[in-house]
Amino acid sequence: MTLHATFPDTALEPAPLLSVAGISRFYGERIGCADVSFDLWPGEVLGIVGESGSGKSTLLRCLAGIDKPDAGEVLFRGGPAPLDIYSVSEQERRRLMRTAWGIVHQNPRDGLRMDVTAGGNVGERLMDRGDRHYGAIRERALDWLQRVEIAGARIDDRPRQFSGGMQQRLQIARVLVSEPRLVFMDEPTGGLDVSVQARLLDLLRVLVRDLGLAAIIVTHDLAVARLLTDRLMVMKDGHVVEQGLTDQVLDDPHHAYTQLLTSAVLGV
Amino acid sequence: MTMHQMPAGDTKPAYNYAYLDEQTKRMIRRALLKAVAVPGYQVPFGSREMPLARGWGTGGIQVTAAIIGPADTLKVIDQGADDTTNAVSIRKFFERTADARTTEATEEATIIQTRHRIPEAPLKAGQVMVYQVPMPEPLRRLEPREAETRKMHAWAEYGLMQVKLYEDIARYGEITKTYDYPVMVNGRYVMAPSPIPKFDNPKMHMSPALQLFGAGREKRIYALPPHTSVKSLDFEDHPFRIQSWTEPCGLCGASDSYLDEVVIDDRGGRMFVCSDSHHCETRREAGHRGTMLGDATASGFVDLSPSTVIPGDRREARDPFRNPTEQGSGMDPGSAVGSARDDGADMQTGVKS
Amino acid sequence: MTTMIQVENVAKSFTLHNQGGVNLPVFDEVNFEVAAGEALVLAGASGAGKSSLLRILYGNYRPTRGSIRITHAGRPVDIVSAVPRTVLDVRRRTLGFVSQFLRVIPRVSALDIVRDPLLARGATPETATEKARAMLARLNLPERLWSLAPATFSGGEQQRVNIARSFVDPSPIMLIDEPTASLDAANRDVVVALIAEARAAGSAIVGIFHDEAVREKVATRYLDITAFRKA
Repeated sequence: MTLHATFPDTALEPAPLLSVAGISRFYGERIGCADVSFDLWPGEVLGIVGESGSGKSTLLRCLAGIDKPDAGEVLFRGGPAPLDIYSVSEQERRRLMRTAWGIVHQNPRDGLRMDVTAGGNVGERLMDRGDRHYGAIRERALDWLQRVEIAGARIDDRPRQFSGGMQQRLQIARVLVSEPRLVFMDEPTGGLDVSVQARLLDLLRVLVRDLGLAAIIVTHDLAVARLLTDRLMVMKDGHVVEQGLTDQVLDDPHHAYTQLLTSAVLGV
Repeated sequence: MTMHQMPAGDTKPAYNYAYLDEQTKRMIRRALLKAVAVPGYQVPFGSREMPLARGWGTGGIQVTAAIIGPADTLKVIDQGADDTTNAVSIRKFFERTADARTTEATEEATIIQTRHRIPEAPLKAGQVMVYQVPMPEPLRRLEPREAETRKMHAWAEYGLMQVKLYEDIARYGEITKTYDYPVMVNGRYVMAPSPIPKFDNPKMHMSPALQLFGAGREKRIYALPPHTSVKSLDFEDHPFRIQSWTEPCGLCGASDSYLDEVVIDDRGGRMFVCSDSHHCETRREAGHRGTMLGDATASGFVDLSPSTVIPGDRREARDPFRNPTEQGSGMDPGSAVGSARDDGADMQTGVKS
Repeated sequence: MTTMIQVENVAKSFTLHNQGGVNLPVFDEVNFEVAAGEALVLAGASGAGKSSLLRILYGNYRPTRGSIRITHAGRPVDIVSAVPRTVLDVRRRTLGFVSQFLRVIPRVSALDIVRDPLLARGATPETATEKARAMLARLNLPERLWSLAPATFSGGEQQRVNIARSFVDPSPIMLIDEPTASLDAANRDVVVALIAEARAAGSAIVGIFHDEAVREKVATRYLDITAFRKA
């Protein structure tokens, strides 16, 4: 039998969760990022890799609505109606950041309240959305601490008393407790020991899969990208030079810069 | 409330009527009208220099000055008492500058300026409560940036306030805030009720009186129009509760008023008495007798001075959200004029925490 | 029989930009089909591009030209031009790849690694555990290792975990790259039997087998890669 018609694509979901079109951000003459477009579907994990200064962090800040780009559009379809994140009110954007979105910062101090107990840190998003039952909030917090492998007995300790790896796991629990649809992560394992990194990566891998999260992860670490992401965008000087399935890009890199990146790493 | 221009004749020549100039009073009245229109919303105003330092009640005095007229009767209470230095001074100030009648009787007053208490006697329609407010921003200790707290109010982002209460329960088993206990006004704005004990919070709810709040140092005015919903923040399973005492007032026997603990000798003897001095006297005149009234009269303790009052709840000193630099504010006037302190660090005076 | 793979006009070359832009042609004008129930064994000398072809079929290497239609859920999908999420869906449900090496994931036990594809396809945890245990036992992996992460296992043990994972729920298409390289004779026979069972159940097999005895037992058809080689 011969196959005549081909269907290059299969409609798995009706629409992407996030549609990014033509994002550009300039700092005077210098290019932050230029004309970046992509779609992200529910449950997909996109990695953005590149060296320092390649524009990946600028792009992430634009995508997350922290910075406004000079051109381009980001459409989020996590709610009843598609949301153009640069034209919605600041109120709506802030609400989004506390509910359907989450940001995991490289430095846990940027994402945690250091004077508030672990339980309070995890419970804040629940209280933000109006939960007012102390026992129920505490129970959820306890459940999440255990999911990120922090002993329940430490629920009333403050993040200052935690190691760097624990702080990062606490930050992840704080973000994921509201069951966001989309999470932005900026070098989530940066600054951690290799052994601590492995544990965190595995935890993230399992959580992303179990929760069906869509995530955008900025990293310069190709091993992190290999383990966590489905797709990869390689950035250089503000431009996306190559993108595709993570294993395609890493195993059969086409662009000179990607070949350089992958050849510079052992055993990715 | 009577708003009128300078009366003819007999005001002291060195001052405009009620001390402030008419333009300033108009400015404050405009702020007040806006505050009444948006219950619980903090309206900025151009706080003026007053003949006492900011932080000692200038906000309350400016509000009173803006609304008082010759037909008004003013009551001033401080720590619940009408006879403390600050209360006496402010009464005299308005007697001199506004020709106001003054009173210690809650039911006779048309304007009640207060610091730290709401009278025990129920307020009536037509009365105006004026609160002296040291720290108008209930979120300030959680979020130091003014631009950020304004956004949080604008969009009713009050999760963080609840986190503070969560932290109290997690650490101490209960919400430890005993004064300036945050409230939700009209289901919209979280508001600092000024350093009144949480015992008084329920009195604000649906009160028939107009309630005005003035913060001189922080330059904010806010208000509760009559019959406004005022709900103290809490958790469903840790509901808001007011303080209670195991014994009634030692002087008048009242079991439903806010009591101060008073040291009566140097051998550890102490008694509990109404903090609202007028309320206590009224009850005694009506024949109510507390168990210690005889002893107290004999030892000359009925004329209680607030400087002998000791702090009731020391847990507040451990408040993790408190900004330590605000506690020992350089404006501390010392114990000599301690009753005029308005920094909210302590319900009590004379005793440093 | 249903055609599961249809390769049309595929060419592959590598351009090494950082080595003076040298171009390494691998093959050109590759055309073949594989039907359900077939076991196609790729033949050709080492370096002829057998592994590259297998990776192209999996969507891992991107061909320079051509199309590869995979029958996925009853419909043909061109794995070359499909968007990433479609490729991932095809891999999850249709296309299995059995490599020589297990990609060790930190802290995940051998049993969980084997259970994973069953769970991903919707099996209950009980069923998944039961099948995974049976498969590990069949491949003679000592039970004391099942709850351990394979990072510290020997090469042969890791490979058996990998095979167990691949065959616990065989995909409609199985791409197999030297699965028996470091196995003893007994385990080699188990692998041969597993492949035969998968084929009997309707899987289309495309494989590279270094071991001639294994190759003979597995193959229903041979494809000599060298024939496509561009000189």
